[in-house]
Amino acid sequence: MMFQKTPRPAMPQEEYPTPGVSPDEVETVVGPSVRVEGDFASEGNIIVKGIVSGSVKTSKLLTVEKGASIFANVRAGNAAISGSIRGNVKVSDRLDLAETAQVAGDIDCRVLSVAPGALVQGRVTMKGIEIAGDKKDEKKIGSFMSKIKSHSEDEVDNTVASGL
Amino acid sequence: MYVYLYDNFLKQKKYASTLKIIETRLTDFGIAGKIIRLQSLSDAKELVEDEIKKGVSGIVIVGNDKTFGQVLSRAATCETLFGFLPIGQGNRIAEILGIPIGEEACATLSRRRKLRLDLGWFNGRYFVSQLHIMPSEIAVEYDERFKVTAKSKMELVVCNLQPFEWEGNGKKYVVRPQDGKLEAFLRPVLGRSWFKERFEDPSIFPFQEMTVSAKKPFVVEADGRQSKETKIKIKLSKKRVEMIVGKERMF
Repeated sequence: MMFQKTPRPAMPQEEYPTPGVSPDEVETVVGPSVRVEGDFASEGNIIVKGIVSGSVKTSKLLTVEKGASIFANVRAGNAAISGSIRGNVKVSDRLDLAETAQVAGDIDCRVLSVAPGALVQGRVTMKGIEIAGDKKDEKKIGSFMSKIKSHSEDEVDNTVASGL
Repeated sequence: MYVYLYDNFLKQKKYASTLKIIETRLTDFGIAGKIIRLQSLSDAKELVEDEIKKGVSGIVIVGNDKTFGQVLSRAATCETLFGFLPIGQGNRIAEILGIPIGEEACATLSRRRKLRLDLGWFNGRYFVSQLHIMPSEIAVEYDERFKVTAKSKMELVVCNLQPFEWEGNGKKYVVRPQDGKLEAFLRPVLGRSWFKERFEDPSIFPFQEMTVSAKKPFVVEADGRQSKETKIKIKLSKKRVEMIVGKERMF
């Protein structure tokens, strides 16, 4: 009796990779030490933990985890970025940039959420803006933006003041 | 009338009583038929084609995963109904198809719950459950669009019907494959512990077509059969085979 074996408790079993996603809906997951090259497209959600170069396309959610890198233009339905992207990002609905996110490229989305600390270098375009009004205003804004670009940083403040 | 393809291992004395019970049950259900004993060099496709010509209504594979693989890997192109009577050890596929092991399978067979199943295909062979490539230095190209590589050796598992299970961080994970797609699970080797290799959490890629290549030959195991290859093309063959399945199937 002293050496009677006690049954080991069964190991808890979990559905992978994310809670909340139907277990039958397998996602595309790029692991941390995996490198993907080429036109990377998926019909479902994509989770990137490693490196992707080429292009990335999905109509659903793209998640770029902390430490992951994408060297490509990205198109997605929704996106949550905690890693880095060097390329243009076009999201048809919501883009979330976490505090560790770095984006070097133009952003096009409908809803943008940027956490303090996130870094963006590029132009941000959002659909549905109403204050742009008629074509005259658009021209004004266009010439104003080009002026800002052509001036050095010190001059920008003066230009903004006179423009306003 | 059904034709029963018995695996060679069923000649062993320990299976005699089980086979006797099964044969009696099949007679009771009115589905007893001709018995053919498979030899290691039997060409399953030729056998099945011959029986179809004779007007057989279905082919029943009797044995384990290896028998199932041996027959269906070649005979899946034959247009007939397939059944399975699992006996003995090594019967994972039966569990996936919801077929009980031993005499209980006769009742499932007699109910004739038919389903057309997707099969995986590689280098002229079909597979039902999984294809497994042991850790090797491989490069994988998906649907001729993108390429996946890793710095270290990678293990590759392609799932058709069998769920993919692995352990990590003290938990057991499971991914159930989707219908109409093959799923590839790639696990780079992180290192070796005392007795076994340590793997990274898997990368997952659903796909229609994939090419795996390597400079050195790698071991491929599909439905319990092993071979060595340097390049393989894996495809999904949709609704390839009509099969009698059980109510408790996993897909």
